[in-house]
Amino acid sequence: MSKFQRVVYPFSAITGQEKMKKGLVLNAINPRLGGILVRGEKGTAKSTAVRALAALLPEIEVVMGCPFNCDPKNITRLCDRCQARLAAGEKLETTSRQVQVIDLPVSATEDRVVGSLDFEHAIKHGMRRFEPGILAQANRGIIYMDEVNLLDDHIVDVLLDAAAMGLNVVERESVSYVHPAEFILVGTMNPEEGDLRPQLIDRFGLCVEVEGVRDPGERVEIAKRREAFDADPMGFITQWAAEEQAVRDRITAARQLLPKVTITPGLLDLIAKLSMEAFVAGHRADIIMEVAARTIAAWHGREEAMEQDVYEAADLVLFHRVRQAPPPPPEQPEPPEEEQEEPESPEQENEEENQEEEPQEQPEPEQAPPPPEQADSDMEEQEEEDRDEQEQNEQEQNTPPPAAPQEIVFAVGQPFQVKRITHERDRILRKGSGRRSHTKTASKAGRYVRSTMQRKNDDLAFDATLRAAAPYQVHRRREQVAIAIETGDIREKVREKRIGNFLLFVVDASGSMGAQQRMVETKGAILSLLLDAYQKRDRIGMVAFKGNTAEVILPPTNSVEMAHKLLEELPTGGKTPLSAGLAKAYEVAKTQLLKDPNISPLLIIISDGKGNVSIGSDKPLKEALRAAEIIREEERIKTLVIDVEKKGFLTFGLARELAHGLEAEYYKIDDLKADTLVQAVRQSSE
Amino acid sequence: MSELKKIYPFAAIVGQEEMKKGLLLNAINPKLSGILIRGEKGTAKSTAVRALAALLPEIEVVADCLYGCDPDDITTMCMNCRERLANGETLPRAQRKMRVVDLPVSATEDRVVGTLDIEQAIKKGEKRFEPGVLAQANRGILYVDEVNLLDDHIVDVLLDSAAMGVNTVEREGVSFIHPANFILVGTMNPEEGELRPQLLDRFGFCVNITGIIDPALRVEVVKRRAAFEEDPEGFADRWEAEQDKLRRQIIEAKALLPKVQISDEMLFLIAGIAIEMGVDGHRADLIMMKAAKTMAAFNGREEVSEEDVRQSVDLALLHRMRRKPFQELAVDRQKLQGVMAGFKHSHVHSHTHAVK
Repeated sequence: MSKFQRVVYPFSAITGQEKMKKGLVLNAINPRLGGILVRGEKGTAKSTAVRALAALLPEIEVVMGCPFNCDPKNITRLCDRCQARLAAGEKLETTSRQVQVIDLPVSATEDRVVGSLDFEHAIKHGMRRFEPGILAQANRGIIYMDEVNLLDDHIVDVLLDAAAMGLNVVERESVSYVHPAEFILVGTMNPEEGDLRPQLIDRFGLCVEVEGVRDPGERVEIAKRREAFDADPMGFITQWAAEEQAVRDRITAARQLLPKVTITPGLLDLIAKLSMEAFVAGHRADIIMEVAARTIAAWHGREEAMEQDVYEAADLVLFHRVRQAPPPPPEQPEPPEEEQEEPESPEQENEEENQEEEPQEQPEPEQAPPPPEQADSDMEEQEEEDRDEQEQNEQEQNTPPPAAPQEIVFAVGQPFQVKRITHERDRILRKGSGRRSHTKTASKAGRYVRSTMQRKNDDLAFDATLRAAAPYQVHRRREQVAIAIETGDIREKVREKRIGNFLLFVVDASGSMGAQQRMVETKGAILSLLLDAYQKRDRIGMVAFKGNTAEVILPPTNSVEMAHKLLEELPTGGKTPLSAGLAKAYEVAKTQLLKDPNISPLLIIISDGKGNVSIGSDKPLKEALRAAEIIREEERIKTLVIDVEKKGFLTFGLARELAHGLEAEYYKIDDLKADTLVQAVRQSSE
Repeated sequence: MSELKKIYPFAAIVGQEEMKKGLLLNAINPKLSGILIRGEKGTAKSTAVRALAALLPEIEVVADCLYGCDPDDITTMCMNCRERLANGETLPRAQRKMRVVDLPVSATEDRVVGTLDIEQAIKKGEKRFEPGVLAQANRGILYVDEVNLLDDHIVDVLLDSAAMGVNTVEREGVSFIHPANFILVGTMNPEEGELRPQLLDRFGFCVNITGIIDPALRVEVVKRRAAFEEDPEGFADRWEAEQDKLRRQIIEAKALLPKVQISDEMLFLIAGIAIEMGVDGHRADLIMMKAAKTMAAFNGREEVSEEDVRQSVDLALLHRMRRKPFQELAVDRQKLQGVMAGFKHSHVHSHTHAVK
């Protein structure tokens, strides 16, 4: 395969972002660190830095001509081909070459990631040959995933599977192959677009968060350098060549020093202490921290790790593993460690099986599937207890990882309740997905991820069909074409979407909500639902109404962080344009349905129902009821009304009336705890 | 080619100066990475983008290259051209207009990124890459009407390649990589939903347009439109002189652009604005700087003035401001004026000699 030499901005010319650069360099020194995840706002040189790193990577010895970059010195890890050659008494020619950075684009399909049958070879020679994919190329190298949070879950599973075993096991399309696949994962992402699955996050040894530089002088420098690069890339690179070489030399020196670097038992204790203070799950953090501390020492040319190295390492290692608070003891039947130890492989298999059995049924919202839940879908209730524990662990991992401390804004006892939510919601989603997959067969929308033999629609997966037909070409009669395809060869595309349910919050932000406690309660309730939506990969949106208008303050998104931020800042005051709010919500839900007919929007209307502004000439309340009627008539939209009117002397019961008009579930906020709210959501979506 | 004639001339569009400015600057400097035009229905959004096609300058391409590689710039060439060059071949040159390639909302992923060439596979049993929309759009404009209705997974693909100017394909049995440097131009009606923040940031510029309020101008809009519909060719002919003037202005500005200088003061002003206005990341600074330079070139100057910076601020910042609920997508004018005035003030004190 040919190389596409990108012209990249030199690493040493990147201004600021020291932590990110440090993290990347450490990985170049020591592959055992297990990669790095760079999170940060847009336009902060994340991708630039990773691409630039490629130029600094050291050279490694590889077997010449081996597609898996086998290490000639490490006989136990050779691929089949090299082993066979060695066994035949052949001497393996070696060559040295730079560690590769292999791109994994978000549009990648499974066949190219794991590798598949080489159909060209099969047609021409009638022989099955394995065509290596990205995992093969990336052996002993780096896999780079830009926008890693947008990657398809199925592809991520495949990656995790291989990463856990260090092997890529291919059993598909009449090829059976195993080859070594040891790689470092490097990912960049913008958290605004939604977060990563906890399993994947934990896979990254290090994690840093980057943000824009605030110093004017530095900003000017950044702009100047970038402009100079854009104007004359080659000239710029030459100008920085000496600096680049200096970094490269320092990395080489550090690599040589690394095996000699020691760490004292005292510092190991410190590492354990730091891990415990951060309430991390499992031991991976400790192990990586130790490795990182030694690598940092090597980078500084020291043969012994120091306390400051440990702290620096902790910063990089614990960032994405910190959890907010100790889990409440009664909820904690056993320490999470045991299961965290080996989180991927067994569960992964489970999932794999599931998908194979009923690919079309693959429930979309559960693509992020906390695997135990997947397991649910075949095994039934008797697993209940078991599952409870697992879910708990899940849930802890799910606690939004970083930047966390100040995130506990709402004094609602979150962790406990959210767990209940996960548990309850689980089932509706499965039901929902049944409905969804039915509609799915009608549409060819979505991302093509892999293929299936099941024939449901005419969504032909041409590549897979060709591969299926290829081995038999020698025996088939071909007329004027190079390849004869029979019905049995036909494969169809399995498409996946990241969209599950769509929860649209319709929040009354009028003055009447201003009675402090009411809004706090409302926000708390929304937050617990948001957290749940986050885990389930639901789409969420928010419409607020106050004064004279309603506004979509959060367009449909997967970003719970955004929702959270907006929720915090949501001001209250003014009149109550209830009908405008309903109309807006209807409009948003309809648009969403147009884009994706498979989702079922759920409007969660939080108000006291005292509409007092109308859009048209009708009385506000009458108009609101008419809007309700329109919403009711769209059968795909479900509704839920949460009445925030306080019990008291004078109650109007207007929200109840509205709920009646909508034929919606009706709840009063007074007797609403987060878990009942979740049940409410469950019932409504059924 | 008669199709081309039927397009409403850019120069004849009434008002909407901000939008026209943004489009023209992009035609001059492709590094500005595009523009997002937000506005109500019937505000000449699509008309303007289509009209721009007629003004786009010619570019030098490798005559028989699918991706329209620049024969003078090896850093952005496709694999094939590089290999040919390495083999000592002289690449055939040709001139052609920059293209505007449409990305319809209904586009499928395989058509966008490219896929396995079915014909080759069936006829010859060979694996070949069939380029998609991104390949066509290399060195041109990729235009997405109703960009906010684009499917999520298509957006992901766009983000991936827009960021690096390279399209990496690993799907359906083919593995391929080719340059995909395009100017992303999108139009949308915000009533139908907003864009994802990451995609929003990929557009260099963003403008909000509204219907014209001035009655006299409104009448003019209707009159011109009527004249155009009645006799498109005659109308186009009448505007040809104006169109030509713009065309020449673009070409001249393009030639001048590499010579345009920007002083440190102006760079500090830009950085100051970005920090004070609270934008995410550094893309805003870069775009403001490039925009200011392009603006200077458009006005035939070799030195960026404060006015150039001022004019570029709106275009570059509108969609990069951190927003609060119930806040319109808008630049806080007062604050901006404060920043600019404050800058001038300190500027006068610290280097009195440098001010004009």
